Amino acid sequence: MAHITLNQYLQQVLEAIESRDGAFCAEMMSFKHPHVANPRLQLSSPEEKCQQLLEPPYDEMVAAHLRALPIMFAVTLDLRIFANNAEQQLQSKGKGKVGDMLEKAAEQLMSCFRVCASDNRAGIDDSKKWGMLFLINQLFKIYFKINKLHLCKPLIRAIDSSNLKDDYSTAQRVTYKYYVGRKAMFDSDFKQAEEYLSFSFTHCHRSCQRNKRLILIYLLPVKMLLGHMPTHQLLKKYDLMQFADVTKAVSEGNLLLLNEALVKHETFFIRCGIFLILEKLKIITYRNLFKKVYHLLKTHQLPLDAFLVALKMMKVDDVDIDEVQCILANLIYMGHIKGYISHQHQKLVVSKQNPFPPLSSVS
Amino acid sequence: MTYNCMTTGDQSELSSWHVTSVQSLSTRPMNKTAMSNARHQSRRGRGHRQKEPGRANRDQLEEQKAEDSVPCGTCMTMCPVCELRQREAQNRLHRFEMVTGTERDRLPRADASRAVKEYSRPAAGKDSTRASDLRPPSVLLNTVCYLVDEIAASSTFQPWTEVYSFVFDRLRSVRQDMIIQRVSGPDCVAVLEKSVRFLLYSSYRLCGQQLQYFDPRINDTHLQECLSWLLESYRDGKHQHQEEYQALSLLYNLGSAEAIQHVLELPERIRSSSAVQLALAVSRAHMERNPVRLLRLAQRLDFIQVCAVHRHLLRCRRDLLLLYSHGHSSRNCRYPLQRLARLLFLKDTLAAELCQVHGVNVTGDWVNFSKSSFTDAASGDVQCRRMHEPLGDEQWNGPADSVIHACV
Repeated sequence: MAHITLNQYLQQVLEAIESRDGAFCAEMMSFKHPHVANPRLQLSSPEEKCQQLLEPPYDEMVAAHLRALPIMFAVTLDLRIFANNAEQQLQSKGKGKVGDMLEKAAEQLMSCFRVCASDNRAGIDDSKKWGMLFLINQLFKIYFKINKLHLCKPLIRAIDSSNLKDDYSTAQRVTYKYYVGRKAMFDSDFKQAEEYLSFSFTHCHRSCQRNKRLILIYLLPVKMLLGHMPTHQLLKKYDLMQFADVTKAVSEGNLLLLNEALVKHETFFIRCGIFLILEKLKIITYRNLFKKVYHLLKTHQLPLDAFLVALKMMKVDDVDIDEVQCILANLIYMGHIKGYISHQHQKLVVSKQNPFPPLSSVS
Repeated sequence: MTYNCMTTGDQSELSSWHVTSVQSLSTRPMNKTAMSNARHQSRRGRGHRQKEPGRANRDQLEEQKAEDSVPCGTCMTMCPVCELRQREAQNRLHRFEMVTGTERDRLPRADASRAVKEYSRPAAGKDSTRASDLRPPSVLLNTVCYLVDEIAASSTFQPWTEVYSFVFDRLRSVRQDMIIQRVSGPDCVAVLEKSVRFLLYSSYRLCGQQLQYFDPRINDTHLQECLSWLLESYRDGKHQHQEEYQALSLLYNLGSAEAIQHVLELPERIRSSSAVQLALAVSRAHMERNPVRLLRLAQRLDFIQVCAVHRHLLRCRRDLLLLYSHGHSSRNCRYPLQRLARLLFLKDTLAAELCQVHGVNVTGDWVNFSKSSFTDAASGDVQCRRMHEPLGDEQWNGPADSVIHACV
């Protein structure tokens, strides 16, 4: 449907009209049908072609539909791109507050959005509500760029409460879940983030390598925080070898390697906005390191000194026994270790059963 | 399917866009020829009727002056003469603006050398752009120096809550003048830096005061405004004190992912400065939830940095008690109070008090942690003040001088 020619499209409409297939005809005129994504149907003057094949009043109706499709998409897309360019121009000239142009663009889009969202008059097929997800995705792009993520909340609420949310095109839903997933990451809601980003990744079209890679950049840290390390193959396939050292360091409990890896690819991680999340992996790395100590000593009463030695082996020199206790206390509080610290005996006493619960089971 | 709103909407939206983008490019008053060229181009593009060349140029210049003129102040005193006379006549002078000796008169006299323009809410019908009422940047900077160095940092004026209220209001008026005149550049930066210093200091000194004298939320709002304006101004050109203020901003907003991300994106030169590195280290300790480390690092902060971060330290201490309540939770184990106090960087008695407030059991010199007995305290402010340096009112004026003067 996304690849048929204009002729084929019009033939189908004609057939539908002649065979009195109202339902199919309605689909061909609606926004939710995949044909809207077809660039071949987005003509500037479809009237002639329509007149050739269809009789009035259908020729006008279809022409109007074809006209309108690209307008909404193009206007909103252009507006955002224009704002982006204006932003860049202003930045290169050093004038104006960063984000001003994009904010203004966002304001315009919001008013379009309000029109769509409040469209209760037309029937479901004609409803402007179909434009909602597209607009929301555009707004998300802007809010992320100008770093005003809190503005995403009302939009998310609007979609959640809409009964159309599962009926939008896959492409739009992939984009939507990508942004909602990133927002969840930002809010430290990692289980949700994993759900959204995974959906986005699996449903992203195989041919969109670039988009799949983009989604992966955010999905990987989330999965790692939940204890799932990516394979080398995956990283190689999507050209994300920056994560290779990080992965290795975390699973081995190697704090030294982790710090080195974060510094080495700092610019990349900061630009993608995942540097802060990756720093959270430190706690997981501590947990993995201490789990190794537990396995080595094979006892349930672990001397605190052992942890200190392990850390010093990882070249973490500026930590003393008090900080070790604090790190352990934090791991216990978070549920990564089941046990307690006895300051008097200078020992960590762990539970005989499952003292280091699997990462995925810990929120 | 009707898309009227969008088809007509987009047209006017886009055309108004063109005009706005040109105007906003001239946030700084550009010279007339440059401006007239820009407008000329945008007009040509939209096929305007061609007038006679001579008349067209003159008309354009006139329009320009009216549309693009930015108010430019001419008032060379801290308070416009007009306002001074009015307030004197209406007995609306502040104590600090009166000629000494006339304070108790029926109508105190205004001291023109000490009167400062007060903040007034913008209102319909009120023209706030009269040049004679606006102070140019150089005067604004002098005003701020007077307010901060002569009034706030001086020990003559008591009580300090009154000093705060006066200086706060007058600084607000300075910022208002800056906004109306769209001031930017080194003068703007200097004014903002001094304002930030004052507001940070105030947040520490007046912490815990009654709401009628000091509202931490209002102080915070203004402080955040100044900080974001200041950080925005830093994007242009080089600024001597940038590292210090980037660090202060990060410390004040400890825990904010946006603030950290902003610092991470700063140029290498600034990011690697000792002030910013220390602030980042504190921030990292906060993110990893390592209060032991955080409180230790906090000892290396200078006074104004402590002012910036102090409101987070109370929560940090509470976190330590929370973590230890879980990590050391055992009926039979005991933890030495003295050691805990050292970790908290508090006196033993104060540490014991903090424990009590949070349901942590203390008997004599020993603490018994239990995850089920930890509780969250009610209000934070009163307690915060108790954790501060134990300085009496008289002793405050020492630090104030050096702290606030620090930025020349």
